[in-house]
Amino acid sequence: MEKLTKTQVPILASYSMPLVLLSAFVINALLVVFHISGGTLRLVLLAGSFPVGFVFGRLIYNKRSHVEIQFDNSTFRVIKGSKEIVTGFWRSYRIVSLVVDQFGKPNLRLYKTKGGEHVDLPISRTNAEPQRFRDYAQSLVTGQRPRGISPQVVEAA
Amino acid sequence: MKSSTTNESAVDLFESRLIRGGTRLIADLTEFFRDYQVDDTTFAIYAKGATRNKGFLLSRFLAWTVLPNYSVSLFCVDEGSALLTTEKVRRTVDTVTRITKDEDLKWAWLVFFSNRDLPPPIVSFISRYDKRELGLAAASTSSRQVVLSNNQVGRSIGRQLKLRKTIGSDHTWKN
Repeated sequence: MEKLTKTQVPILASYSMPLVLLSAFVINALLVVFHISGGTLRLVLLAGSFPVGFVFGRLIYNKRSHVEIQFDNSTFRVIKGSKEIVTGFWRSYRIVSLVVDQFGKPNLRLYKTKGGEHVDLPISRTNAEPQRFRDYAQSLVTGQRPRGISPQVVEAA
Repeated sequence: MKSSTTNESAVDLFESRLIRGGTRLIADLTEFFRDYQVDDTTFAIYAKGATRNKGFLLSRFLAWTVLPNYSVSLFCVDEGSALLTTEKVRRTVDTVTRITKDEDLKWAWLVFFSNRDLPPPIVSFISRYDKRELGLAAASTSSRQVVLSNNQVGRSIGRQLKLRKTIGSDHTWKN
């Protein structure tokens, strides 16, 4: 199965920053207890709150918000955090579209019938190139053999 | 065809601009279909949206209080290297007009892409088209010629949708 995923830095930062602040308070309290009240050592130790905060933030992000889309030529799965939120067969759907959300990010929508039941695949939270992935999904939905290109793009730095 | 990458067609480029919010000033197109079939017409792009954009917080509140919420759509036909005829344009206009009525759209855009030069009857038909609820445009990716219909919605295809930029035209084809 191929995977589409990307670290969502703004969400990771929103989980990490409160923990950075919290760990800075804890480190500061320890420095006071050990009578380290000034100098470069205090700054270096306080800067340690960033890696500590980001490590714990990353754990929470992975558990709650990290999105991964796994797919092959017959099935797809969307995993958010530790839960599988959508799974299905491409052939169960008939129409594919790109839906732009309120932040201007395009996601994939699969319809079972015209204007009827549908599922959304949050491709904007992965490294997929929206139009190419839509074309790929459309070829699978319509039963055509997909062109041998991966819809994945190299994650931007 | 003019393209940003080696295998990106003018239609792909046009859709890419629309997805990135190319029409945001007059309408918010939120859903894009490719190769959408209605009767015997296949639209290369069919995009649905509304005049009230969604936005976030303040812009959403302003849009909700100030802007009317009309449904609008964009249809795009890619003729490729086939000859674009007046009959074909008329039939597509009829199909789009019917969809406009069925789906209660305030207005719609209809854009034709062709790899050949635009024949004079097409230029004449489109430049004289003046019905309020449908804006027409035809673009030749070979000669970079763009023709717009003689109405407000048609002119907005040039100004807002930046059709000329999509096909790399620097001509200003006034109606």
